[in-house]
Order: sequence, then C-alpha cells, then structure tokens
Amino acid sequence: MKKGRLLLACVLLVSMLSGCGSSDGAEGKVKLEFFQNKPEAKGSFDKLIAKFNQTHPGIVVSQINPPDAETVLKTRVVKNDIPDVIALGATDTYSILAQSDIFTDLTQSKLLDTIEPNYIKMLKDITGMDRVTAVPYATNANGIMYNKTIFKEMGLSVPRTWDELIATAQKVKDNGMIPFYLTYKDDWQTNLPFNALAPNLVGIDFFKQLREGKVTFKEKFREVAEKQLKLLDYGHGDNFGKNYADGNRAFAKGEAAMYIQGSWAIPEIRKANPKADIGFFPFPTGNDPDQIKLISGVDTLLTISEDTKHKKEAEEFISFLLEPENIGQYIQEQTAFAAVKGVNQEDPAVAGLLPYLKEGKVLDFADHYLPAAMQLNSIVQGFLQNRNIDGYLQTLDREWDKVQSRK
Amino acid sequence: MRTKTNWLVLILIAVGTILILFPLYMTLTIALKNPEEMTRSVFAIPTTFHWENFRNAVNMTHFFQAFRNSALVTLCTVVLTLLTNSLVAYAIARNMNRKFFKGLYFYFISAMFIPFPIIMLPIVKLTSALHMTNLVGLTILHTVYALAFNVFVYVGYIRSIPVALEEAATVDGAGTWGTFWRIIFPLMGPINATVGILICLSTYNDFLLPLIIISDQNSYTLPLVQYIFQGQFNTDFNLAFASYLMAMLPMIIIYLFAQKWIINGVTQGAVK
Amino acid sequence: MTKRLTAFYWMTVPAVILFFIFMTLPALQGVYYSFTNWNGFGKHYDFVGFKNYVNIFTDNNVGNAYWFTFKFAIVTTILINILSLLIALGLNAKIKFRNFFRGIYFLPNILSVLIVGYIFNYLFSNVFTIWGKNSGISAFSTNILGNENLAWIGIVIVAVWQGIAFNTILYLAGLQTIPTSLYEASNLDGASRWQEFWKITFPLIAPFFTINMVLAMKNSLMVFDQIIALTNGGPGRATQSISHLIYTGGFQGGEFAYQSANSVIYFIVIAVISVLQLKFLQGRETDM
Repeated sequence: MKKGRLLLACVLLVSMLSGCGSSDGAEGKVKLEFFQNKPEAKGSFDKLIAKFNQTHPGIVVSQINPPDAETVLKTRVVKNDIPDVIALGATDTYSILAQSDIFTDLTQSKLLDTIEPNYIKMLKDITGMDRVTAVPYATNANGIMYNKTIFKEMGLSVPRTWDELIATAQKVKDNGMIPFYLTYKDDWQTNLPFNALAPNLVGIDFFKQLREGKVTFKEKFREVAEKQLKLLDYGHGDNFGKNYADGNRAFAKGEAAMYIQGSWAIPEIRKANPKADIGFFPFPTGNDPDQIKLISGVDTLLTISEDTKHKKEAEEFISFLLEPENIGQYIQEQTAFAAVKGVNQEDPAVAGLLPYLKEGKVLDFADHYLPAAMQLNSIVQGFLQNRNIDGYLQTLDREWDKVQSRK
Repeated sequence: MRTKTNWLVLILIAVGTILILFPLYMTLTIALKNPEEMTRSVFAIPTTFHWENFRNAVNMTHFFQAFRNSALVTLCTVVLTLLTNSLVAYAIARNMNRKFFKGLYFYFISAMFIPFPIIMLPIVKLTSALHMTNLVGLTILHTVYALAFNVFVYVGYIRSIPVALEEAATVDGAGTWGTFWRIIFPLMGPINATVGILICLSTYNDFLLPLIIISDQNSYTLPLVQYIFQGQFNTDFNLAFASYLMAMLPMIIIYLFAQKWIINGVTQGAVK
Repeated sequence: MTKRLTAFYWMTVPAVILFFIFMTLPALQGVYYSFTNWNGFGKHYDFVGFKNYVNIFTDNNVGNAYWFTFKFAIVTTILINILSLLIALGLNAKIKFRNFFRGIYFLPNILSVLIVGYIFNYLFSNVFTIWGKNSGISAFSTNILGNENLAWIGIVIVAVWQGIAFNTILYLAGLQTIPTSLYEASNLDGASRWQEFWKITFPLIAPFFTINMVLAMKNSLMVFDQIIALTNGGPGRATQSISHLIYTGGFQGGEFAYQSANSVIYFIVIAVISVLQLKFLQGRETDM
C-alpha cells in the first residue's frame, strides 16, 4: 500500500506542475516568430525587439535562438513550421535552404534599396541563383587581431605583407612571447587562415571553375597549404589543445601578441577583459600590400518565410531593423559592420579595417562556396596535424568529387 | 583472515574514490571562484565563495523554468513507464511459448540497436503532424522508446515469478487484469525500482530528443539549456561551471538522500 | 483460457501500435530515404537505387569512423569490465566504510554524459596539462584531446570514468549472491586467492560478466554525447564515431539520404554483434 501512496503522490505532483503553465495575453495581435542563429546576438536582438513591440502595438515579435540553430531550423523546415522571419549567416546552409524555395523572393523589394550592392552580389554568388531571397544585415571581418600594448612595447608596426608578418612573428618569438595564439582544438578555427589565404591567393573564381570541373585543388592550393603550415611555427606549446574560448580569454589577458580571428570574437574578448587594447588588420597573404583584400562575409542576413501569413508585418519588422539608428546599435554591440550604406562601425578596435570596407577591397569567405558535406574544417585540422601537403590536396579533391557524385 | 579489515584493499579503494571525486571537486571549486582566483591557483579551495556565479547562472539560464520542465517530463515518464511497460512485458513473459508474443519480444528488443539519427527526421515530421512538439509529446516518446530495454529487463524478472501464484488467483475468479495489478505488480517492486531509477536518469539527462522535438523555448529542459549556455558564455568558466553544477545538483541531492535505496534498487532487479 | 489470452492481447496491442508508429515507421522511412538523394528538408528528391550503399563502401571517412568506433568500443568495454570487477571485489571485501565507498563509486552514473564531457574537456585542457608540465613529460604537457594519436584515449578515459559505476554495482550484486560457505570450504582445502577467484568467484558471476560485456559494448558502439562534448570528432576525423558521422554528415552536411544508408548498415552491424553476444549469454544460462 505504501507504493500506492507513493504513486499517488507522484501523480499529484505532476498535475500540480502541469497546472502552472503560463499563457501570454497577446490576443488580437499579429504574432511574428523571429528565428536567429547567433547566441552572441541574443541580447542585442532582445533590446531591438522590445523597442519594436513598443512602437508597433499591433505586432508581437518573439525571438527564438535555439542551440545548434541550423539543425533546429532544418527540423522546422521538415515540420513545415517555418518561422516568419529568419536570421542566418550566408553559409552553405542558407544556400541549400534558398534553393529549396522556402524564402520569399525579395529581388524587387524596397528593403534592398539601402543595402551595399557588393553584399547582394555575394548572396547571388553563394546560392548560384539570380533571385535574391534575403536582405544582408550585418557583415563581419576575418583577419588578425593584435595587442596594441605589446606591439608598442616591442616597437612593432602593423605588418602589410606576408614577409613582414612572419618577421613580426619572429621578433615576438625572440622576445619570449607567443606570436599567434592558435586555437586549433576547434576545427572551425583551423579554417580561418584558409578562408583568408584561399580567396586572396587563388581567388573566388576558382570555386566557380571547380563547379565546372575545370580546376583542381592540387593545381592551385599548394601555396595556401604551405603558408598554413608556416603559421604553426609561431604558435604556442599546445596549438591543438586550446579552443576558441581558451583563446579569447588568453588573448584578452595579453598572453599573445596576435590572434588570427574574426571580428565576432571582440565582444567575447572584452567580456574577459574590458580594458583589452585590441587592433585589427587584414591577413597579409602575399607580398604586394595593394593586392591584399579583407575577408568579409555576410554574418547575418534576414529572410522571410514563403509560407508566412504575415508578410507585410515581417517586412515592417525587417525595415525597422534596417533603420540606421537600430542597425547602428546592433553593430556597435556586436562589433560587426553594417550592410546598410552609410552606417559605420566606430569601434577603435576595427578602425584599421574601415578603409578596406570603404573602398570595397573585400573578398568573401572561401568556405561559403564549399558544400558543408565536405567537412572542410576537419580536413584542414587533420592536415595541420600530419603536415602532409600532397595528401591534403588529394583529400580536398577527393572529398569534392565524392560529394558531387552523391548528389 | 576474513574477519579483519583488509587495509591494503581499503587503501586501494580509497585511492580509487579520489579519482572519482577529483573532477567533481574541481567542478565545485571552479564554480565558486572568480577569474582572479583561478589565476592564483587552479586547485586550491577558494578563499572567498563567489555565490553570485550561481545567482547569475540561475538568471541567465532561467534555471527554475527549465528545472520544472525537466522534473515534469521525468516524473511523468517514470510513472507512465512503470505502469505500461511492465504490463506489456507481463503479457509477453507469460506467453513466450506463443509465436506472436515471442516475436514481439524480439521485435521490441531489436529496436535497442536502431541508431537514433536514422529516425530523427521522420520523427520530427511525425510529431509535428500530431502536434506533439511539446513536453507531453516528449513524455510519450520517452515512454514508448523505453519499451525496448524494459521489455528485456522485465521479461527476465517476471519469468522468475512462479506461475502458481496466478493460477491460485485465477481459481479464486480473478481476471487477467486483476491478477496482474493485485498479484504480479506488487511482486515486481525490486525490478520496478531498477527500471524507475534508470528511466529517471536517462530521461532527466537526455538532450538529443528534446533538442529536436521541443519548439517552444519556454519548454526547454535542463540539458538543452546547458547546451545553449555552453555556446553563449563559454569564456566565463566560473559561470559555466556554476551552471553545470546547478544542472547536476537536483539528481545529486536526490542521490545523497536515497543513495542506499537507489543502489539496492538497481542491484535487486539485476540479481534476478 | 481464451478470455485470458484476449486480455494478454489487449495488454500488448496498444503498445505495439505506438511502438510501430514512433519507432518502426520512422526507421522504415529512414530505410526508404536511403535509396533516394533527399537532403533532409527539400521538397524534391529522386530515387538513386543502391548508389548510396555503393558509395558508402568506397568512402574512407566511413571506414575511418568504423575503425575508431570499434577501437574505442573494444578498449572501453575491456577496461570498464576489468576495473569494475576489481572495484567490486574490493568493495565486497571486509573493509570499513563500505557503503560510503559504494555510494561514491556509483555517483558518476547519475550525472549527465554531456555535462561530464564539458567538465573533462576543461580538465584536459587546463588542469591535466599543469601536471604534465610539472612532471616534465612532454607528451602530457599538451592537451591530449588535441593530438591525433592520443585524443581517442581521452575519450576512453571519460567513458570509463563514467561507465565503471553501473558495472561495478552489477558485479557487486553478483558477488553478494555467492554464499560465504563456498569460500570457507575452499579455505580448508588450502586454495590460494588466485585459484579461489577463477574456480569459485568467476564462474558464479559469469552471467553478470556477460550482461556487463553486452551493455558496455552496446553503449560504446553508440558513443555520441562524449564526442560532442570533448572533441567534436577531431582533430581532423581522428575521433569521429559512426553516430557522430551520421549526425554531422546527415544534418549539418545535408546528406540525409546518404547517411541513412550508413545508418542501415550500422544497425545491421550492431544487431549482429549483439545477437551473437546474447546467444552466448543464453548458452551460458542453460549451462547452469
């Protein structure tokens, strides 16, 4: 009988727990679901949404930012329960989803009027479609961060060529400091130099020709591979043992002079040390400083679901986010750059990058053009471990062919 | 020789417990330090306890809401599993000589070996069509999936209960259902404890199923929340560890109080 | 008697239906998709016959994942069983604080694999390396999870740390079923400790040994959470298990159909291994 009472108690507890479910009083209003994939940006969007909900009494926007967001979004697509407004990076996932026709066609939309044409073209290149199904919102930059204090103490200047970069690293090393804080335990981190080297040294056209079967990695990527290996000489004792989070903390504390990273890491670094004096320069991939371009891609783009019942409200929300004041606030908090013309990033940490952005000396991330199924990150990480250049180039070609043949 | 304490064994066992406890000691101390103290010494006991790590972790992860969800799903799953899975296993165990039931036995068991990713997308489709992308759906799925392992465990146990008991009850005019609830189910205490504890642990700690099933953020369970937290605040280890500890704490507390009962529960069922 | 049988059918049929809908049907759908080129979410796909299966057998990433998974599963299973048997023997001896120690050894079993993985991830990177540096052995002064050749050992360590708990308790339960009178008899015969273990203890706990082997093997063949928390399959693909490959390739890589074919093969492999083990187990039970 004791057991019976235990059971009864459980049942009671359960019914009590289920009783206190909550309900929100948003009847009669249009509810918009805003799905976004950047955990770092949740706070910033929360603020903007609060402002929007206040100024647009007929609409209630709620943000969804699940873990492993891209997987969750794909499951939502399978469920036929696509969120009304979706914010994503311009990655292979976006490309696949765009090709599945789940986003509203925005080619003629007024929303694109204020957007930098460069970034609209980037989206077309990534999807290989003429239609535009997204509004580029915030963009990022991939380059090399440096600790201004350490540079000053050692009398170093910002390197503008590959040789200067290596010479600078050597000087730091000779001074008994870590030149680059490499964080290669995370495979996507090993890919950052690849993303900078490949577009500059080989060019984005390579990927178009690759799709047509005209070129191979073996022909074009030896220099990229050699330079990637060279960087390993200027890491620390445990290059493959530290991850992105370790790196942000160590660099914030001044444990290394330079840090090969994207602009998205700046808020994280400042969380660990608000006083960190950081500078940023483009990755000097070759020896002609005029030829070097900054790697910058669409970090966040905004799309509207094709199936949404509230297209008008969704457009209203996006146009609100694009207002200079709002996007300005977003990019300041996220140390990102605006895809909207005339909205500038004023953070001193990225001042060194602004001329490149202004003059349009910009190239997209290389991996935005390679299918995710290739798992480029692990290929690069594996190569840096075994240092076998021929094997690496062969693997790249083989994986590319394999993925193509499976389609 | 066997009556005295064996000191050598005692020392070895004690050394072993240090290996078990060390990671937990580290979790506790890191959760209570702040970054400055970490740089001073990684191993030492913190000089001042930074309880605010816990307060911040609670606020950032909406801990109590996630805990309520986890507790709800876990409790319901345990109760439902005990009541339904035992019944199914009983029918199978008493009819293993019939092809149908023997077939069922292997049918259920073989599902133990289905890799979860293969059913993941179809499940997502199905649950959304049935409006089950919520905590209730999660509970039902956990209960149904538990059948595979539990049928295996229960059938073995029920077959060790003599049929004579039921025959006596049948003679007294009790039906099959009545026999089960009044005679067999009460005899299954030990195995129910085993199954209940194991289901409780696996449901509470599961993260892949809720990740793909639950759409509403207010319905997130504790492991899911930890997974987000890992991505969001990974530079602050002290905060992250406080949050890990919080997620593990409910189970640890239950374990501290019911340790003997839990271990006996697990073992009693297994001995049969 | 027929009325009784009807009741039995009613007890099982609802469960069978639910189980079929939520387990078998999705699995069959998975098998169906393995003959297509569906990417997992698009509206269109074509039938490709056995192309996915043919490609699997020529894909060295699949071979690599199988190699890692089996290496990991065999080493983990053996280590877990040896260690937990030793601990169980120790806990079964006449020692002080027995219940206290028993409680400690079972503790890891109640913790979430994911969170334990996160904790160890930190320890491997920031704590064990401190010892490595102090001891002066260069191989241990760096994070072993970042080393192509050693990373799998890190995952074994975490899996064993957590896996010992359950098996120890099962062995302990087995040991307690052995009547002490048997040992007293062998003491009189002058048998050594070693003989005593192999002649009396081991045969009597053999069923526990087999069930522990089956469970540990099955769990390690399906290893997933540890990989996610510790290495994410890296460095390179050095620690990519089969489930991790299916998950990452099928979802992040958008090759759902291809990885479904991989899952079908994986299911067959696990089922065959487990059936063989279970046959072995049942053979033993009838021997006794």
